[in-house]
Amino acid sequence: MSVGYFVKETSINLWRNRLMSLAAIFTVAISLSLVGSALLIKQGVATATSEWQGNVQLLVFLQPNISKPELKAVEAELHSLSTVKGYSYVPRAQAYSDFRRLLANQPDLVNAVPESAVPTFFRVSLVNPAEAPAVGAIFKGQPGVDTVNDNFSAIHTILTISNVSQTVILGIALVLLVSAAILILNVIRVAIFSRRREVSVMRLVGATNVFIQVPFMLEGLIQGLLGSLIAAGVVVAVKELISYSIQHFSIHLLDGFVLTSHDLFFTLVVIVLIGMLVGTVGSTVAVRRFLSA
Amino acid sequence: MIRFEEVSKSYSRGSSGVSDISFEIGRGEFVFLIGTSGSGKTTLMKLMNREIKPDTGSIWVAGKNLVTMPSWKVPYFRRNIGVIFQDFRLLPNKSVFQNVAFALEVIGKPRKYIHQQVPQILKLVGLDGKSERYPDQLSGGEQQRVAIARAFVNRPLILLADEPTGNLDPDTSWGVMNLLERINRTGTAVVMATHDAGIVDSMRRRVIEIDRGMLHRDQTRGVYGIGV
Repeated sequence: MSVGYFVKETSINLWRNRLMSLAAIFTVAISLSLVGSALLIKQGVATATSEWQGNVQLLVFLQPNISKPELKAVEAELHSLSTVKGYSYVPRAQAYSDFRRLLANQPDLVNAVPESAVPTFFRVSLVNPAEAPAVGAIFKGQPGVDTVNDNFSAIHTILTISNVSQTVILGIALVLLVSAAILILNVIRVAIFSRRREVSVMRLVGATNVFIQVPFMLEGLIQGLLGSLIAAGVVVAVKELISYSIQHFSIHLLDGFVLTSHDLFFTLVVIVLIGMLVGTVGSTVAVRRFLSA
Repeated sequence: MIRFEEVSKSYSRGSSGVSDISFEIGRGEFVFLIGTSGSGKTTLMKLMNREIKPDTGSIWVAGKNLVTMPSWKVPYFRRNIGVIFQDFRLLPNKSVFQNVAFALEVIGKPRKYIHQQVPQILKLVGLDGKSERYPDQLSGGEQQRVAIARAFVNRPLILLADEPTGNLDPDTSWGVMNLLERINRTGTAVVMATHDAGIVDSMRRRVIEIDRGMLHRDQTRGVYGIGV
């Protein structure tokens, strides 16, 4: 069997049905761009999540008039809890300077609050960030403790939003992938139909099924491959855009959202493999159904 | 070369079936297969080429049992059989040379062999000098010659011709018949389904007549009409 023959026949098929081929290629490209972007975001979120979760903290604010024994009791409690990874006491002077720094753009407020009105607090980090509300409840209402704040719920909301949107994106991508496979199937069907004379002559003179089928299967494979290569380009662009945006607009919440070149490479490989799979599946089904002896 | 034993094939609708057909065709024979439209001639041709399988009975062609032959072997079997049709079935977007070469290309023959064989066979069918023409630039007789060249380029043991002169005027038909006769003289068995009484009568070859799916007559040196 000559490779040259297959290359020639496949390119003739692609060129004859170029509009349909383009439609199939772009459907693959669009769906795989979505898949790729979703995968990339998922990896970014995974990195960011561990970063964010490492940042989940409990702030146990103390009353200004807390007594020495009460302070000791709170500290002992923190020390004894196995769910607490570490804690530090923030004295008034440091609390006040943090307060001034954080609210630097609101000088009126800063000037109106005297240092004595700023509460001291414990900064507590946890073994498991998800336990933040439970641990917080232990200290709430303890003598000398004013309030307990945690940023768990805010991070939880962000994670939920990102999870839901990833599921939606992947769902849309899946639907598009199925339509891409069906489009490829249809392109191959048209190719088979437009070459039915050739095919019947091939059968007549004793060409083997493999020989008849391979050009059509290659056609589908190439459509899937081309589509996935376009998608790979789009995903690289998306990655650059995200990295640029995070740096340029210094979105601090997304500081942990780092996309490594390893993540990118993995995503591109997955995309190209899916593209080839979709092309092969589409054309195989078409060949099986419309080229049966 | 071809042996049918009590072969029956019926269709629920459409094509006409055949029933209880037995005959044997030897190496290098020339046989006319006659009968009215719908008598089952084409069904017999399709059975010989393993395009269809019989319901019952057995068929042997070129030493192969077509009933038990697995489908993956069919392409290799067909390389021993040449087939031509009333409507020529040429590829309109290929030149004469390419049409013939295609038959060798798709069974994986090397380029060098193709470039050596095709001009030779085109010369045999009298089309040398026209190898770069396209089918729509040829007369009907010339197109049928291309089809014969394509069917014969593999030097098949058997040539099946399904009303090869059906679309041709009498003079051109004779040209095609002369060609088939020459091919037959090289040792290739020719089975030709036809309605052309003139050709059958003047060639005086073996005649197998099918009537409503049954073998009606099998006569050596026969004619189209009965009782001559």
